[in-house]
Amino acid sequence: MGGTESYPNLPDTSPVGQPLDWAWLRGARSEWGVQPKPSARGLTMMDIAVGSYGEVPERPGHRSMAPRGADVDPDTPDMGYLLNAKTDVWALNVRELYEEAVARQWSATRDIPWGELEELPSDLEHAICQLCTSLTEVEMIAADLPAKWMWRMNHDFIEAKMFLCTQIMDEARHAEVFRKRALANGGGLLKSRAGPASLLRTIIEAKTYTQATALLHLLGEGFILDLFRQGELIAPGPVEKKMFRMAMQDEARHVAYGTMHIRYAVEHDPDVADEIHEALDVGEAALFELGTSPDLGTALALLLAGGSEQVEEQGFAMQGDLLRKQVTSYLSRCERAGVPRLDRTTLPLDLLGITRDDLVGVGA
Amino acid sequence: MDSVAFLEGLAAQMNAHPDRYEVLGDCDLVLGVVVQRPDGQAFRARITFEGIACLDVCEAEAGDEALADCWLEGPLDAWSAMVDDIVEHGRATGRHTLNSLTLMGESIRLRGQDVMGIDKFSRFNQSLQEFFDGAAARSVRAVG
Repeated sequence: MGGTESYPNLPDTSPVGQPLDWAWLRGARSEWGVQPKPSARGLTMMDIAVGSYGEVPERPGHRSMAPRGADVDPDTPDMGYLLNAKTDVWALNVRELYEEAVARQWSATRDIPWGELEELPSDLEHAICQLCTSLTEVEMIAADLPAKWMWRMNHDFIEAKMFLCTQIMDEARHAEVFRKRALANGGGLLKSRAGPASLLRTIIEAKTYTQATALLHLLGEGFILDLFRQGELIAPGPVEKKMFRMAMQDEARHVAYGTMHIRYAVEHDPDVADEIHEALDVGEAALFELGTSPDLGTALALLLAGGSEQVEEQGFAMQGDLLRKQVTSYLSRCERAGVPRLDRTTLPLDLLGITRDDLVGVGA
Repeated sequence: MDSVAFLEGLAAQMNAHPDRYEVLGDCDLVLGVVVQRPDGQAFRARITFEGIACLDVCEAEAGDEALADCWLEGPLDAWSAMVDDIVEHGRATGRHTLNSLTLMGESIRLRGQDVMGIDKFSRFNQSLQEFFDGAAARSVRAVG
């Protein structure tokens, strides 16, 4: 309980005659004195998840913006939250991921060695500008989607909302860094067409948050994570390599949240798996359309080839290898999330030469 | 590269220069290292990172690398080439970065039993690179 002293000498009215309420001082019905101890790195969200403050209810009893653990008046207004079950948004690693995100922020202005950009052959400059155009376009979906759903999440799941805030900041930085690169070396933003928008629209229009997070974190960001990892081969120079490495770290955090959120949701409500599968059926088709879109696909092939002359011989082969890695990682994450897709996916596994043995934690 | 002393040297570098890691952020994982020697034997170790510190380096038995979140596995000459590049340039360059080396999987492979553990390699990649870049320090080179 919040304090036991009665403080008998406090006034009942203010100097201008207004009645005063000292309930917060005279014993709020909340836990007092938990006194979490900082760990070696400071006072983390894990450290303060103690006593009643660390208990996240399966179904919160109210729908206000009151902080979890406070003494909440019964007449606090209902904020109209739609996601009121812990399984709707929670992931067991969400507190750690929030702390990680805060600790690993970086600056697209300061941490990329922009001064080291060198003039590129025209075909490579065009290709990296096209890739950056496409990436700037798709990155912001990972900010818009959490923003669309966050105000619908019950405030008792504050840690999940806080993590999603970091994701939104990350995606703003990704849009920033790719936009800056497109403009920084004498090029500019290039083509944006209808095709890629179909995946983005599928994600943003998902009927439930868990469907949306499957499409965004597991599918979309999973593929982008592997693309960023391949930045070592895609990037024409050290500036772009650094850009991809830094963005890769952020993207991997988002994928870690999505994978573990879906796992949590499916473990607590196996029926959710069906709705996730249905969403991914549609999403995979849209993703394939994005991956084979004329602008993104050809720009990637040219960058992987190191120039226009080697596109056919080298570029498309390397692109096929990239796609194989992306699909293998995606299917492995689906297994980990509790929604195995190997026997259901419409992605061309035969064409890519992917079998059960290629998946992490699944093979013989 | 294939000794606990060498890895402990890297750990000492990390712990002596927290400022280099503070800007990269906390890094929480257990990384396995498998160095295949020409004689067919392998050196195995587990490295424990927490926050901006390396807490522990220990030699591991065959198969114990699977207790790590993920592990890096490759022949001694591939590891040595990476260290040589770091020593020459002060940090890994070009195709000698951890991310590059593991990307093609031809020399050093990134492995794990859990995709979440493997993804930690991506999440903490720049901290891990900084750790191995510590091989440029004279004190570490003397051991390696």
